[in-house]
Amino acid sequence: MKKLARNQLADLLVLSALFCLSGWYLWDSWSASSHIYNLILVLPLTVIVMLLCAVAFVGDLLRTEAVNRPVDRDSATSSLPAIALFVGYVISLPWLGFDVGTFLFLAAFLKIAGEQKWQWILGYSLAFAFGSALFFSAMLPYPMPLLLIPGGN
Amino acid sequence: MLLDLHALAAGFQLLISDFTPWLIVIPGMIIGLTFGAIPGLQISMAMAIFLPLTLYMDFMQAMLFLTAIFTGGGFGGSIPAILMNIPGTSSAISTTFDGYPMARQGRHNEALGIALGASCAGVIFGYLVLLLLIGVISEAVLKIGPAEMSMLILWGITLIASLGGNSSLKGVIAGLVGLMLGTVGFSEAGNTRGTLGLDSLLDGVPVIPAMMGMFAASELFRLVNTRYLVEDDRARQVNLSRIVSGFISTLRFPGVIGRGSMIGVLVGAIPGVGSSIANLLSYVETKRRSRHPESFGTGNPAGVVASEAANSTSEAGSLATLLALGIPGGGATAVMLAAFTMHNITGGPVFIREQADVVYAIILANFGQAFLLIGLGLLFIPLLANVVKVPMRYLIPSVLALSVFGAYGLTGSLAGPVTLMLFSLLGWLFKRFDYSIPACVIGLLLGGMADEMMIYTYQISGGQFSYLLQRPIAMTFLLLLVLSLFGGRLLALLRRLAVRQ
Repeated sequence: MKKLARNQLADLLVLSALFCLSGWYLWDSWSASSHIYNLILVLPLTVIVMLLCAVAFVGDLLRTEAVNRPVDRDSATSSLPAIALFVGYVISLPWLGFDVGTFLFLAAFLKIAGEQKWQWILGYSLAFAFGSALFFSAMLPYPMPLLLIPGGN
Repeated sequence: MLLDLHALAAGFQLLISDFTPWLIVIPGMIIGLTFGAIPGLQISMAMAIFLPLTLYMDFMQAMLFLTAIFTGGGFGGSIPAILMNIPGTSSAISTTFDGYPMARQGRHNEALGIALGASCAGVIFGYLVLLLLIGVISEAVLKIGPAEMSMLILWGITLIASLGGNSSLKGVIAGLVGLMLGTVGFSEAGNTRGTLGLDSLLDGVPVIPAMMGMFAASELFRLVNTRYLVEDDRARQVNLSRIVSGFISTLRFPGVIGRGSMIGVLVGAIPGVGSSIANLLSYVETKRRSRHPESFGTGNPAGVVASEAANSTSEAGSLATLLALGIPGGGATAVMLAAFTMHNITGGPVFIREQADVVYAIILANFGQAFLLIGLGLLFIPLLANVVKVPMRYLIPSVLALSVFGAYGLTGSLAGPVTLMLFSLLGWLFKRFDYSIPACVIGLLLGGMADEMMIYTYQISGGQFSYLLQRPIAMTFLLLLVLSLFGGRLLALLRRLAVRQ
């Protein structure tokens, strides 16, 4: 059996994930109700998605030549810290609030992106985070999670 | 209502007899521009926030103020779409297709000028059509039922195939996955689907945060290693003369503007889906008719013109439905309906028959606003275009944070930021593995409505397909759908036959 290229394997994993997602969605909808009103769109849709994923999967697997897509491995690797930081920022919002959470996210991002001057990192993050938090908390009709700025929840 | 010259003259008189209503147009337009230009802030949000102010205005002033916010916001949304690949609203999705590549090539001045030109031309053309055809449009809208809506949505979904990027199969998969995710939450039958037990998903996936995540955040993650949005130092200038030349160059595309505006005003009049679909239809039609369809998506100015002409005109379409039928087509017109109520006015056939002068005055005022938008846009664009001079290490976290604030603003809970985060991861994966992000977003936008309309059609028709044959508008949409899928091939076949003969 031929050895799969790394990007081909990743491609197959994504297709499998979409196949499973569609299968799970059909199962979940069917469990809720098998009435035609509940499945009129979902049933044909999910079946088509699974079929298309299967076709693409087999097509990918049978492809003899290596996938000729330019893989920018550097870009993928360098994106990962930024993604992790962003995920951490969003998840921490209930505890850190939009003011402190945004300040920490900006400061950490600037640091890992190569900004050397500490005064710039701290000054910009502080001004942007607290300025935006004040603006949005004043504009929005509902309270925002804020740690230091008064008026949040 | 055909053009009533007497009422038209009375409407004009109403507008010029007192200058005070015009004083609130400029602030309204600046509010709209600002809200449109900030990712995550919506035009409807701006209108809702400033709605209480209209209590202190007479009805005419209130309408001028709200339509000014609407007009300013319509163009304002194109600024983040071009400079940051963030379509602040669903009606600016196709502006990103060519606007953002133009910005990355250092043609941001031109792209913004073109967007302004197309928006202004679209507003003028759209309201001209409205002036002449308001009666016809409102009668046509009344004939649109679930079958027609289903066909329209299917037509929208066929666009997915042509937005497929490098792999059309993956484009279709992405579109259908989007459609599937669009049905998450309570179904029309009262069942919950795919909510994972989370209350925040009962109303479905928050679409705008999801859209921001898929378009913007996924792109920003990819740009982590770049220094500036425009890599070439010399191209990174903000140049008013280039903005103006871009603005003027819009005149090179009269056909694109005309087609986009017609699509915008007619499709925009359909409640719910109008403005989301109009810009895509216009874009796809322009691409399909182009001699160089392969240049679309790589920075073709015609793509920006097509999208902006349609989305600014769909405002006129939705206003037609509101004025003539009292039905709001979306969030912004819903706020306008609230202003109607606050002034004890009910939109509908009686309103346009008995207060035709007011209706004409509102339409004429929008012509004036289009010209004001030229001035204000040319003042604002040079300020906002400076975004290209901001180093990416500052721009990326700032835009991400702003999107998080905006997503919270849209949902009023942390469900917005979490949706933004999850869909930014999905968008990043899709981009990396060549799945079409626009296709997925279109599916997401239309999923819930497609489900609903299919159920209504099933209920009305009793499951009989022959029902469709009795609906001429549905059949027209079906014909258009078939033509948009196979029209090009059919035309080529006919040409070959003609050459042989």
